[in-house]
Amino acid sequence: MVRILVLAPFPLDPDQLQLRAKQLDAAPLPDGVEVDFKPVKAAPGNYVSHHDYLLADISLFEAGLQAQADGYDAVCIDTVSDSGVNALRSVLDIPVVGPGRTQYAVAAMLGRTFGIVTMWRQWFPLYEKVLSEIGLADRCVGMRSIDVTPNNRTLMAGKDHALPLLLEAARTLVSEDGADVICLGSTTMHEAHEFLQENLEVPVLNPGPLSYFVAEALVALQLSQSRSAYPKPLVPKLEMVHGMLDGAVISEESA
Amino acid sequence: MSKVLVLVPFALDESQIAHREAQTRSVSLRPDVTFHFKPVKAGPTSVVSPHDWMLLDISLFEAGLNAEADGFDAVVIDTVSDSGADGLRSMLDIPVVAPGRASMIFSLTLGRRFGVMAQWQPAMARYEKVLDEWGLRSRCAGVEHFDTPPDFANLIGGKEDVVFPKMESACHRLIDRGADVICLGSTTMHQAHGYLSSVLEVPVVNPGPLSYKLVEVMLALNLSHSRNAYPKPLVPKPDMVHAMLDAAARLSGA
Repeated sequence: MVRILVLAPFPLDPDQLQLRAKQLDAAPLPDGVEVDFKPVKAAPGNYVSHHDYLLADISLFEAGLQAQADGYDAVCIDTVSDSGVNALRSVLDIPVVGPGRTQYAVAAMLGRTFGIVTMWRQWFPLYEKVLSEIGLADRCVGMRSIDVTPNNRTLMAGKDHALPLLLEAARTLVSEDGADVICLGSTTMHEAHEFLQENLEVPVLNPGPLSYFVAEALVALQLSQSRSAYPKPLVPKLEMVHGMLDGAVISEESA
Repeated sequence: MSKVLVLVPFALDESQIAHREAQTRSVSLRPDVTFHFKPVKAGPTSVVSPHDWMLLDISLFEAGLNAEADGFDAVVIDTVSDSGADGLRSMLDIPVVAPGRASMIFSLTLGRRFGVMAQWQPAMARYEKVLDEWGLRSRCAGVEHFDTPPDFANLIGGKEDVVFPKMESACHRLIDRGADVICLGSTTMHQAHGYLSSVLEVPVVNPGPLSYKLVEVMLALNLSHSRNAYPKPLVPKPDMVHAMLDAAARLSGA
């Protein structure tokens, strides 16, 4: 039995969480792999400024802190921003998989170059952050946005008009920018993956499902993040982090 | 049920192939994916010069050319040199997994910098080639070797007492140079992976088993290489390639 915890980056209700969990329908995981989705306690309204990045980091960090103690074998983050990944890696020994860095690495294995198609340009800095961290920025030949405001709760619902725009943007990445592989700019775009793959000649990566498979592979290979890249804190303050998020919940409820 | 063809870069006999096949038992794999090992017809006897690299390229290319027609769903190259992978990708629609680039790129998801452990001094040049080709030099802490000539048939078997400490020492030199992750520089080092993992503080990437897990991922998610990066030839000449290797096998007495 391999147990994977996927951290959703917003405090979602069960129906909204179910929309995220639908990523599991993309492809059957090996027998014996069990995936649970867990939302954060509190979060930024969206991911467009450094204010938001900071809150995203700490909320996902807090949500995953107990994963190892709770018996999970790996953690995935349900956002290509890889928010919280670095800090979680510094306190957990089980693999923590960021779908952003994972899809860029896999893209670099499938082609020389890749491009990112996304809903809105406000997310570009998040891609640049992860690409710089992993050292693959020069392989990314372009980012194209359709400038349709995303909804991090309802995902692509009511956004059918976005599909042809995403396809056009992806085609431009291939024909004008030279992308050999297309990466989706958000795990929330998973509902667009099948349509895009059916209509494009190049591979299209679906970062959420990819991260689950890679998490399983890491467990099977007994691999995890390097402690020398993600050293443990000398004085862990995990209770303080939990207290901060509990405080955030009270603040949100009274707002 | 999916069938994966693993291409072995030397003209080995059955017992020698078994050493290679042992890699599949070091990791839990899906029961619905089976791995079939196939040696090349002929090839170089070492992997230290551009002469050798070129012969490896064409011998592995030839060995995998019919993989799709033979009913295989994916191909893995059983050498970190990734020899033949690009040629095969230009001909096959099924995924062709190249463990060299895969292990180095994959290691970047586990740490900031990786180090590569090479077999011996003459093997160093090919890593330099790969690092340049893949633009990974800035993330490579270094390449160190353990000063032991390779034994492509028996691998490390029977030499553990002598070889393991040398390997461990090479890994420590890489860690001292800033490596967060160690990439084994050859699939033939797989027998040392368990030992090195147990004595080193950093992750050790075992390229063969990693490539098998990546094949599973590619098959499950219906992924393959990009045709834009690996365009098909306008005039494919597979028969010519087969004839070249048949001639090579006759000349080498294989």
